[in-house]
Amino acid sequence: METARWRETINLDDLWEGDMTAVTVDGEVVLLVNLDGTVLAYSNRCPHQASALDEGDLDGETLTCAKHLWEFNAATGCGINPDDAQLTRFGCQVGENGTIYVDIGPR
Amino acid sequence: MSRTQRKPRIVGVGGGVASAAAIAELRKEGFDGDITLVSAEDTVPYERPPLSKEFLLGRSGSVPVKDPSWYQQNAVELLLGVRATRLDLAARTVHLSDGSAVPYDQLLLATGVRPRALPGIDGAGVCYLRTVQDATELRDRINAARHVAVLGGGFIGCEVASAAIQLGKRATILEALPTLLYRALGPDLGQVVAGIHRDAGVDVRTGQPVTGLTRGPGGGVRIATGDGPVDADVLVVGVGTVPNQELAEQAGLPVGNGIVVDEYFATAVPGVWAVGDVVAQHLPRYGRRVRVEHHDTALRHGRAVARNMLGRRAPFGDVHWFWSDQFEHTISSAGLPSTDGPLIIRGSLEQRSFSAFSLDGERLSAVISLNRPKDVLDARKLIAREHRATADQLRDESLPLKRLAPSTATAPSAATASSAATASSAATPSAGTAPSAAGTPSATAPSAGTVPSARTAP
Repeated sequence: METARWRETINLDDLWEGDMTAVTVDGEVVLLVNLDGTVLAYSNRCPHQASALDEGDLDGETLTCAKHLWEFNAATGCGINPDDAQLTRFGCQVGENGTIYVDIGPR
Repeated sequence: MSRTQRKPRIVGVGGGVASAAAIAELRKEGFDGDITLVSAEDTVPYERPPLSKEFLLGRSGSVPVKDPSWYQQNAVELLLGVRATRLDLAARTVHLSDGSAVPYDQLLLATGVRPRALPGIDGAGVCYLRTVQDATELRDRINAARHVAVLGGGFIGCEVASAAIQLGKRATILEALPTLLYRALGPDLGQVVAGIHRDAGVDVRTGQPVTGLTRGPGGGVRIATGDGPVDADVLVVGVGTVPNQELAEQAGLPVGNGIVVDEYFATAVPGVWAVGDVVAQHLPRYGRRVRVEHHDTALRHGRAVARNMLGRRAPFGDVHWFWSDQFEHTISSAGLPSTDGPLIIRGSLEQRSFSAFSLDGERLSAVISLNRPKDVLDARKLIAREHRATADQLRDESLPLKRLAPSTATAPSAATASSAATASSAATPSAGTAPSAAGTPSATAPSAGTVPSARTAP
């Protein structure tokens, strides 16, 4: 059985509320999003054509891919337009010292 | 329900993304009447943008807007491979090419455009590109060709030439105007695009009117130009489009370079609406009618008209936006650029990384970018809301574009926290609040505009 593999990434001090950034975890580029202090991790590849989501825009909870304007709810990963798309979500937690840990799961 | 009552029926004519988006939105918003989609093409609506890009390169097949099963699951009747031949607006009926007729309570015209045909430029070896059928034929011809000639240096021509070169073919663009993308981008930016194509190996011949076409050696075509003949295996013609407005026109609906609609997509006849590339839409923001052929706009038209058809007054205010991929470069734009005014350049034309802004007084009105999609996203949001911008601010790369939106936050730190604002891309209603319990830095981003806009995207 595969067990959780938490990897240390950046510190919460480096990811402001309402901001997003990309980090690399086990060779996978991961998008970290800070929504009002809650940090979520997604694959940085847009499900449309794999464009880098961190080059897009985060406005409230709406994440917009710069390439073709696909929009997602950054809190749930669900597509807004189109509404049948879905971001790939990874495990994410914040340690007591503010370290953001990500588990991208079995490869 | 103890009694059956005839449900209202909406008929959509046209099988593009505008039609599909409208139907999807109608169902999403709870419309449970009958829906019929009439399309002359024999497939469900599909994405057109890849046809001149990934599809030609063999990296993508046809991509449906909605899976074929979606229509069945959502009780949408598909009449494919059938043409609407006549509208009877008095009887509220659409007559079809198979001799049948469909009654409607509300009608949506989304008949799109067709490539403009050039007299004398036709026959074997000549291709136009609009449908997946066109694209399939063109892909096969390019694969079999050694030399691909393109007539017209617009977006279709540039993308086809880009695909041909990437497939290892020779490519020649014949354009009568002084640069590529002259009408869309103007002379200066068009010259940058011409440079990209020349560097990639395209034989770019601008200022070259094509005067005739004959059979060339080896089953190809010989194109007569002012500069002598050009022999190629295939000639792709991309010289603009013509709106498919005849159906509306013959029914007596007002037309004028497109079917005339207001900002609610209403035609002159109640219950008859029109969307997509075919409409000439009066938009109060511009004080004139605009006809736009962007994929994204057609999609947003579809969503917006559905709300109007359901009785909500939803004027169209979305900012027009498009992109084009050529080689490794992406051109994208927001607003309706006018190419005759002065452009304010952020970045570098020489480096092929820039955004070219148009100002209307102290308002940003449009942007055209090369390889700066984020600038376009930021500018698109600015254009949709109240803001003030000067040419110097737009040129200044150290000033994030989103700082140009006025903030509703009145935090005392707002005026001085420029470095913090620069570091933050926060543009959320929560920006400017106190640090969270989780210990995040105080994101008092003063510039993050949170002005509620009446024109936010759906």
